[in-house]
Amino acid sequence: MNLMTRLKRRSGEAGCYIYVTILAIFAAFPLLWLFICSVKESGDLLANPTSMIPQKFTLANYHNVMVNLGLGTNIKNSLMVSLSTTLIATVISSLAAYGIVRFFPKLGNMMSKLLIMTYMFPAIVLVIPYAVVMGKLGLTNTRLGLVLVYLSFNVPYAVWLLVGFFKTVPIGIEEAARIDGAGRLQTFIRVVLPLVAPGLVSTAIYMFINAWNEFLYALILTSSSSITTLSIKLHTMQGADVLNWGDMMAACMVVVVPSVVFFSFIQKYIAGGMTEGAVK
Amino acid sequence: MKDKVKKDYGRWMWVLPAIVLVICLFVYPLGSQVFYSFTSKTLIKPSYGIKGLSNYTAILTDPDFWLALWTSVKWTVLSLLFQMLIGFTAALALNSIKNKVARQVYRILLIIPWAFPTIAIAIIWKWLLNGIYGFVPTLLVQLGLADQLPQFLSTPELVMPTLVMVNVWFGFPLIMVNVLAALQTVSQDQYEAAQIDGARKWHMFWYITLPHIKNVIGLLVVLRTIWVFNSFDIIYMITGGGPANVSTTLPIYIYNLGWVNKFVGRSSAAAVILLIILLTICTAYFCVLNRWEKEADA
Amino acid sequence: MKRKWIATTLVCTMLTAALAGCGGKEETGAASSDASASGGAESGAAGGELEGEITFWHSFTQGARMDAVQAAADSFMDLHPGVKINIETYSWGDFNTKWNAGITTGDLPDLSTAQNTGEVVEMINAGVAAPADNFLDTFGRDRFSEKALGDMTWDGSTYGIPYYSHAQVMWYRHDLLDAVGAKVPATWDEFYDLAVKLTDDDTYGAAFSCSTNDLLGTRYLNYYVTSGGGSLLNDDLTVNLTSDLAIEGINFWVDVYKNCSPAETVNYTVLDHATLFYQGKTAFDFNSGFMISGVQSNTPEIAEFVDAAPLPKIHADDPDYSAEATHIPLVIWENSEHPEICEAFVDWLLQEENYIPFLEAVPVGMLPAVEGISDTEAYKSNETVQFYSNAVDVISKAVELGNAIGVDDHGASVQASYLTSQGIIEAMFQDIITNGTDVNTAAKAAEDQLNEIFDMMID
Repeated sequence: MNLMTRLKRRSGEAGCYIYVTILAIFAAFPLLWLFICSVKESGDLLANPTSMIPQKFTLANYHNVMVNLGLGTNIKNSLMVSLSTTLIATVISSLAAYGIVRFFPKLGNMMSKLLIMTYMFPAIVLVIPYAVVMGKLGLTNTRLGLVLVYLSFNVPYAVWLLVGFFKTVPIGIEEAARIDGAGRLQTFIRVVLPLVAPGLVSTAIYMFINAWNEFLYALILTSSSSITTLSIKLHTMQGADVLNWGDMMAACMVVVVPSVVFFSFIQKYIAGGMTEGAVK
Repeated sequence: MKDKVKKDYGRWMWVLPAIVLVICLFVYPLGSQVFYSFTSKTLIKPSYGIKGLSNYTAILTDPDFWLALWTSVKWTVLSLLFQMLIGFTAALALNSIKNKVARQVYRILLIIPWAFPTIAIAIIWKWLLNGIYGFVPTLLVQLGLADQLPQFLSTPELVMPTLVMVNVWFGFPLIMVNVLAALQTVSQDQYEAAQIDGARKWHMFWYITLPHIKNVIGLLVVLRTIWVFNSFDIIYMITGGGPANVSTTLPIYIYNLGWVNKFVGRSSAAAVILLIILLTICTAYFCVLNRWEKEADA
Repeated sequence: MKRKWIATTLVCTMLTAALAGCGGKEETGAASSDASASGGAESGAAGGELEGEITFWHSFTQGARMDAVQAAADSFMDLHPGVKINIETYSWGDFNTKWNAGITTGDLPDLSTAQNTGEVVEMINAGVAAPADNFLDTFGRDRFSEKALGDMTWDGSTYGIPYYSHAQVMWYRHDLLDAVGAKVPATWDEFYDLAVKLTDDDTYGAAFSCSTNDLLGTRYLNYYVTSGGGSLLNDDLTVNLTSDLAIEGINFWVDVYKNCSPAETVNYTVLDHATLFYQGKTAFDFNSGFMISGVQSNTPEIAEFVDAAPLPKIHADDPDYSAEATHIPLVIWENSEHPEICEAFVDWLLQEENYIPFLEAVPVGMLPAVEGISDTEAYKSNETVQFYSNAVDVISKAVELGNAIGVDDHGASVQASYLTSQGIIEAMFQDIITNGTDVNTAAKAAEDQLNEIFDMMID
């Protein structure tokens, strides 16, 4: 009996290994292929569509992308926009979420429901009005304009998530701090925030990814290559005079590899970032 | 205490920035969008007039709109189904792997798709599936599984399944990560107790694991439905909605009306209709979720 | 109570700081150009040196063309230290979306290229292009082709300055023709038979593409219709896709797609499409002189076998014709604060020392739009121009004879430009190809749809 169970468990685990291995190939192969194609020469790229080993290893595509196309500027732009969005959205939404939980016990539920409704507004619905508003504010073709627009879809969602996290903070701790003479803001910063830090981090990462990947607003609202984001720059490469797949592969590598590294470091924080707060 | 809360205007300061932001960035743009939907506004001409409901009737009598709606439904349901299925089973499988290092490595490999910006997804998959130089079609021919290079992005029957596959590739890691996190909060005690009672494996899954993570899954379904239904860039960048509109979903349809045909009025009307559809779906979802929550509380 | 206000102030400061931190580092283009604008106006009034900042949008997204324009701008700025020229490049595909969005957001250039003369008419219709008469009169109208200027003339004013010209001709690989002992086809039937014959496992006879994001379907249909002496527009500027000639043309290209084209091209744009020929995948193609540099950079080993011939005719004894000549124009924008700088810069771009290096960036692909340039030693000494002299002659003749799509006898019209920009004729082809819709039905539906758009968009 004991042997049987153990055997069963073993074969069960082996099955799991086979399954995740197949999935891992499916998930990771495009990245591997991206790498292989980015170091192939263009003739090789077209002549041997399935060869896994480049005839001649070349870094010319990378040189092209970084030096001639100046991808670095756009990486910097994307970083600036995504980081600012994340930072501002985190400040605004953690204040709001805490406010809702502590000071609006009755209205709170409705407020956060209304907020999550805004999550369902597709970008495509708002792009023309945003273009008009940004035009009036003189913020078209600025990174600031992009940040403002990105706040629109990040803040409501973040508030909604964070409400869940703040609810888990026992009020007793705060009252103790208040008795010790700490003000509301002090209590919030010194006592409450550290308690919800993991939730805050995963929410922030989620927002960062959203801003980093955004495409439509950046396409419509920015026009200079010195202002625009990485996604748009990559998109522009596809419409160049002569299609150069090698260059595109190298550019994608430059974008994807740091993200993969970043993701592997932060993955324990993103675990559940999307829903954890909301179901708490 | 009650009196104190009433007079406490300071509490508004906490939520004010968010409220202001939501009003500026949603209420006004949405209002103007609804307004445009009753006008003949175009993208490039400065003048326009009020046209009443004619944009709405034009949309609702346009067979392409209904086709786009149907494509959207297919796109959302199929993507979601497979994302959930693969994401969920992947999480269960990962959770059963005992070796910590192996688990970690697999986890990193499996979340790779999530690290791709949409434009990079479009570029790599267009290249992998390219009908002339693509890896996948060429491989299928070399393996003798196809006589000619399969045209994943232009054969009408293959386009939607291919796009769904790409979307599943991109979307399953997110489901997996969330389910995995939820699985790890199930307390081991319950399993052990059940084991002592001699419960079978799938019984334990059905009576302990599933109820525990039901809420997470429900919520994921809601959020992903909205997200996938609204997603514009992945299809736009891979096929642009073609060929012959077979991959034109509602967001692409709206984009084309506004930015290609330049009919802002009509495109706004279509956008308002899209919103109404989404609101209906989501209200229904949230009703179900609320009931689950109440059940859990009771 | 006090604490509360401190808290509020703190929050506000945090927000402002965060916003400023991200906004501060920006080159806020709008603000700085306003500042210099007022300065420029003053000095302009004083009749002194040019001063101010202009933004120039063009679509030469990479390589030698982009460098040539940048070099000209740099030398112009050296010459006029008070002038700053900001250059932004967009791919053809995004260009229309960009300026359309710009009308709403106010983010528009001072000077730009346009994809073709038809787009200039769209700009006139939207009220964003400024008349270029002042420049043209100073530079000399007679130095440009009359047809090119005519395509951009509206109510007596001309709104664009031709930058370079090209025209649609037939491209073929004479090595492949020689291999089967065939002559260069002169009629569509000969072309079709040969294309079918040359289609095998590795090579396709000719590709037919109709992505709705591009104009290839319209372009190809226009070849056929023009070769039969017809037009895609009626005399009252409504669309005509249902004439016998148009239906014949649609059927012709659908057959080409079915029997000699890779299946994937149904969703190909101009660039994807041309790349097939660049890489030696197709034996025939229809395009401008850009084919040469494309082939040279992709598959240099076949470049010597590439040559051009006039577009085929329906009957061998039909008169010579040209279906489409394109003049890529420069447009000065209505909103520009510094039309005088734009004019001076356009003049600079068209000076021999800047113009010839620009044209040489894509030899044969870009033919001079300014009279006299093709006779200069500098232009004639280009190796590519010499090697492909036959192609140059064929294209030059097509430039002389041709107009933009839909312009032919009707003159410039917004309708003509909407023919190519809406993707409706392309969608019609896709519908016929993928859904098997009856040609007459699909043509009628597309015709109605385009006419409806004309009604809505044109007063």
